[in-house]
Amino acid sequence: MTSRLMVRICVALIAFTVLARIPAGFDVGFQFDAALAVILGFGLLSLVLLTGYVGQVSLCQATFAGVGAYAAGMTASTFHVDYTVAIAVGVLAAFTLGVVVGLPALRLYGITLAIVTLGIALVFDRYVFQDRIFSWFTGGSGGWRVDSATVFGLQMDSSKHLMAAYIVLLALFCVVALLMVNLHSSGAGRRFRAIRDSELAAATMGVNLTRYKLLAFGLSAGIAGLGGSFYPLVAGSVSPQPFWVFTSLQLAAIAVLMGVRYVPAAFLGGAFMAFVPDVLTRFGHGTLFGRYSYDISYDWFQIVVGVLLIVQLILLPDGVWGDLRMRVMHARSAMQAVTRKRVRVA
Amino acid sequence: MSAFAAYTIIGLSLGGIFSLAALGIVLIYRTTGVLNLAHGTMGMFSTFVAWQVFYGWQHPGWPGWLKTAVAVGAGLAFAALLGLFLEFAVFRWVRTRPPVVKAVITIGVLLALQSTASLIWKNNQYHLPIYIAPQDATFVVADVPIGANYVVIVLASLGLAFGLAAFLRYTSFGRAMRAVSDSPVAASLWAVPVGKVGAVSWMLGSLIAAIAGILITPFINFDTTSLTLLILDALAAALIGGMVSLPLTVLGGFVLGLLETYPTIWIQSLGFPRLVALLVIIAVLIVRNPRGLRVAA
Repeated sequence: MTSRLMVRICVALIAFTVLARIPAGFDVGFQFDAALAVILGFGLLSLVLLTGYVGQVSLCQATFAGVGAYAAGMTASTFHVDYTVAIAVGVLAAFTLGVVVGLPALRLYGITLAIVTLGIALVFDRYVFQDRIFSWFTGGSGGWRVDSATVFGLQMDSSKHLMAAYIVLLALFCVVALLMVNLHSSGAGRRFRAIRDSELAAATMGVNLTRYKLLAFGLSAGIAGLGGSFYPLVAGSVSPQPFWVFTSLQLAAIAVLMGVRYVPAAFLGGAFMAFVPDVLTRFGHGTLFGRYSYDISYDWFQIVVGVLLIVQLILLPDGVWGDLRMRVMHARSAMQAVTRKRVRVA
Repeated sequence: MSAFAAYTIIGLSLGGIFSLAALGIVLIYRTTGVLNLAHGTMGMFSTFVAWQVFYGWQHPGWPGWLKTAVAVGAGLAFAALLGLFLEFAVFRWVRTRPPVVKAVITIGVLLALQSTASLIWKNNQYHLPIYIAPQDATFVVADVPIGANYVVIVLASLGLAFGLAAFLRYTSFGRAMRAVSDSPVAASLWAVPVGKVGAVSWMLGSLIAAIAGILITPFINFDTTSLTLLILDALAAALIGGMVSLPLTVLGGFVLGLLETYPTIWIQSLGFPRLVALLVIIAVLIVRNPRGLRVAA
């Protein structure tokens, strides 16, 4: 066990202990947002793997999360099994869909992949999740309620056990994030990054493109599905609306905005995406200086995301987290140059 | 038989819309290298501007055709300004970036415009369309009545496609646009105004999107999302044309329109046409590997 790994484990543990305590004082609405933040964080984390590590564009991550949510919710409410089994089913379903989506992706890259994944998001949104033909599975456009979920034999009520769900989600998120950071420098991670830099060069060096691209899609979908499969537990219902095509587009936009190559940016983005709209709808109306009444709704959030994405891509191509990281590293090396008498040359 | 003919007419007019929307995408992609995922959204916004002028402002005493003309004119003027604004505010600054980054920027445009529209016009479905031709005007061809608005769509798409092709082929500015689409660097060395070409293509593309949006209003309960999501069908038609060829794009639009309409004889489903579009896209991409995309991607 290298010291680097120890440092990472310590960072993850500290992050977990700090973050797990924060929403304890919140009301139910914000506790739901906290749990939702981690679920969306999983969606963004899946993009860090797929786009940041492997360089594949995907505009259908919310679809993967949705499939996880539907599969888990279906398993839990139909067969009345323990919810841990339902989560396993959800992850497996999302993983399978990811591999299937990866099949056409074997021959595509760049913008063609963006078009195909956009199409998949749209088809699942408008057809699979809503159409009559699939209503035996999806419950049509209204979805269905998931009540009486049990975890390890304990009855889970979505409104009362939000904190428990949040802590479980957060622990899982920390574990997956740790694995992701570790993956970056592992053998598979090096192959992923080789594919990102040049598929042709990677194939020449003996990287099995088929295996690793399918693996990347499967793993990414599985991560998104892991988050999504908690959704029925947290929200108490499943419906197409949280997983529609605009959520996929927002996930892509916020992942890029926060820094698609960095794992911590995923959590930052999830929190941003869950809390900001709710804060806006709760406190975004009133009167300014007693004269100008204003009413800031959810739409403003999406406008801000769109404009920020454009500005960020023009000015800070590496995302918010990437830019911060670079500044910190520059400042640190500048400090070292000032404080140390002899600057060690690498 | 007459049901079949009716579906053919609907499919052809739907295909006309698809080919119109796809023409704008191909034009912008060829000259600026931007895959405009916000194309449907831009068309939607301009269409809503036209709709607002048509139904929102009272001008009693005006004849119907004048109201329509003013509304359509306002929508088109807005579309041209929107295209110019996007070029100058956004895409001028990212000309040298890779195509994927430009495509992601258009997602930002999509989200911002979409929410602005739903902020202004809410998420209602509007049932009051803008008719270009009188609503009850029909032609009868071989005992099959054809609504004049269907004919307008097909004529508009064919006319715009041929007009655009002629513009690109026979005018000096069209030649400049083709030069930029072949190689911006080489074109700029020959004193072709690359920036101006980009601005004009964005303006033209936005205009065509607006025309498509206004023409489709009689056939759908149009709201802010359904026109935005038309992008998938438009992309499918554009991919059939390989993102390069205007005639093939128009043909692709009509074929896709028919392919999406015929199944609705048996399957009553709102989502099924999207599946058809996706299958067409995957089939085209896997069989053809479009030339234009291969060069840039």
